Amino acid sequence: MVISREIIYRGLQKGLLSTWELAKILMPTVFIITLLRTSGGLESVASFFAPLMQYLGLPGEAAIIIFSGYFINLYAAIGGMVTLELATNEMLIIAVMLGFCHSLLLELAVSKKAGAPISYILPLRAGASILAGFVLGGLL
Amino acid sequence: MFWEGIYNGLLGVWTIARIVVPLMIVIEIAKANQWLDRVNRWLHPPFRVIGLSEHAAFPVLVAVIFGLTFGSGVILSNVREGKLSSKELRIIGTFIAICHAMIEDTLLFFVLGVPLWILIFPRLSVAIIASMIVHRFYLWRQEKATMIAN
Repeated sequence: MVISREIIYRGLQKGLLSTWELAKILMPTVFIITLLRTSGGLESVASFFAPLMQYLGLPGEAAIIIFSGYFINLYAAIGGMVTLELATNEMLIIAVMLGFCHSLLLELAVSKKAGAPISYILPLRAGASILAGFVLGGLL
Repeated sequence: MFWEGIYNGLLGVWTIARIVVPLMIVIEIAKANQWLDRVNRWLHPPFRVIGLSEHAAFPVLVAVIFGLTFGSGVILSNVREGKLSSKELRIIGTFIAICHAMIEDTLLFFVLGVPLWILIFPRLSVAIIASMIVHRFYLWRQEKATMIAN
């Protein structure tokens, strides 16, 4: 087995880079959601999405987490998850939904580059995600 | 309110950083030692169920472990060498779109308290089923084409 200082250093560098990327996304997300919550803005967003989110077994404010995950990335969604108090089963539903479908802006481009068209991958992933939410929301 | 936001943010960053940094070091060691080549040698038979040869199974394994971008990199270099059929390309694309970065993505939610099996089982099983459907669809189309030809 090869383990050199170079390899460890490269891993450390990548890890710290990811942490920086994470901080750049997660800090503002947490901040904005905290701000929204204390100003009451979150409640209006929540009540707007509540009728839709109930089919997924989720409270209205979870819409912010789902959208952050779909369009930005999982770090942004996690920012929302650590800020809002969610029940265990709600965390579980969100985790499965976002597992199927996340970072769409980036990953659809990557998939496309590797030969899978967006018109195929997007319905596949979004469909799996919403279906999973629907099934789990009904079960839990 | 301001400090609460900062505190929550830092806590979130720390929660993830303590997982991501060691993980990236392990992944670099795995890449340098070509662990996946060895794993692929004994893991590829089940991939036949979804219509993938040993050769085509490798990018899937890379994507599942290391992430979509790494997997796509392997796919691109294989495509350039003309080693993947369009059918295999579609099956691989289907599988890895749903099931990738299973170590990183899984750990991110695991540290928030979501059980491991619920993070792995749905993605893996849906990826297998969807790829199997694509595989069957291609077989069916091929069959129909030969029937018409005869």
